[in-house]
Amino acid sequence: MTKLAKRIFGTRAIVWSRRIKGFWEEYRHNKIGLAGLAILGVYILVAIFAPLLTPYDPISSKDIADGYSVPEWMAFFSQYKHLPRTMEISMKWIVTEASDAVSVIKNEDNELVVFYNGTGSHSIILTSVFLYPYTPPEKFLVNFEWWAEDVTDARYRMEFFTMNPAGSKFSLWSYPPMLFSPSNTNWTSVTIYSTTEELLSRLGLPWTAIVANEIFNEEGEYKFQLQMQFTSDSTTSGTAKLHFEKARLKIYGLLHGLLGTDSAGRDIASQVIYGSQISLAIGLTSAILSTFLGILVGVVAGYAGGFADEGLMRTVDILLCLPVLPILLALISLFGTSVWYLVMLIALFGWLGLSRLIRSVVLSLKEMPFIECARAAGASKFYIMLRHMVPNVLPVALAALVLAVPAAILTEAAISFIGLGDPSTPSWGRMLNYAFTLGGFRNVGWLVNRGIKSMAWWWIIPPGLAITIITLGFVFVGHAVDEVINPRLRRRR
Amino acid sequence: MREYLIKRILVSLLIIYIIATMQFIIFQVVSPINPVDMYMFSDPRFRPEMRDIVENTFGFNQSMSTRYLKYLQSMFTWNFGFSFMTMLPVSGEMSWRLVNTVLLLGSALVATIMVGIPIGILAASRRGTKVDVFAIGSGIFAWGVPTFFIQLLALLLLSYYSYVWFGFSIFPHGKMTSVPPPADAFGYMADVGWHLALPLITLVVAGFGSWALYTRNLLLDALTQDYIVTARAKGLSERTVLYRHAFRSTLPPIVTMITLAVPGIVTGAIITEFVFSWPGIGQWYITALLNGDYPVVQAVIFVYTVLMVLANIVADLLYGVLDPRIRVGVRR
Repeated sequence: MTKLAKRIFGTRAIVWSRRIKGFWEEYRHNKIGLAGLAILGVYILVAIFAPLLTPYDPISSKDIADGYSVPEWMAFFSQYKHLPRTMEISMKWIVTEASDAVSVIKNEDNELVVFYNGTGSHSIILTSVFLYPYTPPEKFLVNFEWWAEDVTDARYRMEFFTMNPAGSKFSLWSYPPMLFSPSNTNWTSVTIYSTTEELLSRLGLPWTAIVANEIFNEEGEYKFQLQMQFTSDSTTSGTAKLHFEKARLKIYGLLHGLLGTDSAGRDIASQVIYGSQISLAIGLTSAILSTFLGILVGVVAGYAGGFADEGLMRTVDILLCLPVLPILLALISLFGTSVWYLVMLIALFGWLGLSRLIRSVVLSLKEMPFIECARAAGASKFYIMLRHMVPNVLPVALAALVLAVPAAILTEAAISFIGLGDPSTPSWGRMLNYAFTLGGFRNVGWLVNRGIKSMAWWWIIPPGLAITIITLGFVFVGHAVDEVINPRLRRRR
Repeated sequence: MREYLIKRILVSLLIIYIIATMQFIIFQVVSPINPVDMYMFSDPRFRPEMRDIVENTFGFNQSMSTRYLKYLQSMFTWNFGFSFMTMLPVSGEMSWRLVNTVLLLGSALVATIMVGIPIGILAASRRGTKVDVFAIGSGIFAWGVPTFFIQLLALLLLSYYSYVWFGFSIFPHGKMTSVPPPADAFGYMADVGWHLALPLITLVVAGFGSWALYTRNLLLDALTQDYIVTARAKGLSERTVLYRHAFRSTLPPIVTMITLAVPGIVTGAIITEFVFSWPGIGQWYITALLNGDYPVVQAVIFVYTVLMVLANIVADLLYGVLDPRIRVGVRR
């Protein structure tokens, strides 16, 4: 088997390895080229290890922190220092007050079951304490699940409130809303958003107030309390059994991660990281496809000549008259925005210049003695094209290939930036589109409330820089490859 | 020469015809989106019964061949039909938007060339110095940096943040005039100039490098020729050698590049106009695309194509005029 492989690839492999070695010998003295390779290396590593670098999904994980939260390292500046970080607390309940007729069972999952068995009015207060060490947040969320069973001859009332260090009470939720006699209920999940109008009116605050600001107005020890009152109407004792589970508080941070969040509270760093996958995939695939097309057309037109040459080159002439970007935009808006469709379109318009170049190289190769030898030895046209033409135009194509990648990346970025990109891919162009159209250029509201005027620069600059650096990386490499392959350029230096 | 010109024009007309036909096929035959549906969808007040009326108004109930002929006729007579969005004739809106676009991109092209070519000449004459490195660097920069990011950054810093920092915007946020525009003519022009400045500057910054690098490479190539050695040996001043001998010989390719860049005045504007909400062709095109306004889309692509084809012819002819070595038409 190996013998066969050696017979097929042997000498050829040696020739190619020598060529590559020689190329590298030249290339490694080119500083810009090495810098470009280093940049690309970093991007490729980031793209491969994206899932390890960030825990968040770039598109679906919203509300990781508050919208427009600034990068965490901004805490270096004093006015950002004490801004809230995202806190998720599952409440640990302690019984602070209880009548005899009421008892509580807790299990390790922090699930409570409150039993009542008695006559008359009784109550129990459960308290959960936590330390809030930051300045006021903009929003928070509380959720829990509860249900009642075995309620006979008893009424109950639950109230959920929070108490700040100064001792003011804010009643966030109660059940039943009016005094009627509830009986058993189904499992109910309750979510209290701090930003609802319902909560504002419940707390009697003006509509301009920010509930989270009012409640968590200073750092210190906050209490969440759950008060349950039971009344039995009958002379015999009534019973009730209330389940209360998974009580959780989430305070949305205003400082988050490496690069903050966008308007929907998505992590920007993870979007930037995943964007490298898309950019590299689009850039490389469409560049390879278009280079392949360019070589194919160039070699066929150059070597076959005659009718094929005329037809292909006139097609190229016509296609070169087309305004590429407007037509790409039109085709995308008509036939869908899928990434792979975009790749094909970019490739379809990307090979024109290269095919002309390759054709001219082939035309000069055609007159060389070794081709004549091959022809005299009875080689078919197809064989000569594949074995003699293609390997000899590959160096020219390589430089074009490397320079086609940034062009494709920029085209994709521009299309996504306009808003015609694939909405299901986290590309940098799409991020810039969102930042541009969804409020990255407005004064960030919560910062204005704190006396700082600033746009969401952490949403605009990172994706733009990511595009710029990756395209520059490819241009550096392309420039260096060009210098190595075209000695004419090298001599000038 | 004349024969060549006639042949060239006929071929160009053929190209324009082919592209117009391709457009018709794409937008009106194979398009998965039915423009009538699009139109009916655009306004909830349209009832399904009105579909026939709409089809009749826009001529969608005619046979494909009639539509094709009418389409060709309207394209080649600069008529373009009516916009679905505004119900106004496309040609009218096209003309004032064309002016805006040419104002922005035309001045940008001129400025880019005026900055780029001198830097290229300087770089070639001082090869290996800092100027040369700057020219090469700016060329790479122009290749690799997305223009719209430079524009977004400029907008962010010089317009939005300058308001935060200094209390006024050095440059406006976008659009072509203030709201309301100044009444007197001079004030109006100054206002337009103020709005023009930032897109213009960013286009120049993003674009001059490629001109500089191109000029530099051409000039360096010319400077290694034998006639330059002769000129120097004759004792001509370096200045004369550079401008009269070397630069003169690079003019034909440079002029070709300039002519070929002229259609870019119209086509290159899409993203710039989107960023700066400049009321030109590009912005119109994007809105039309997003709204399925095919008359506008077709008209814009058609105008683009005509311009590109025209520029190609002019470039070819100018090349022949500037470079007598190229005897166009005698033998291709």
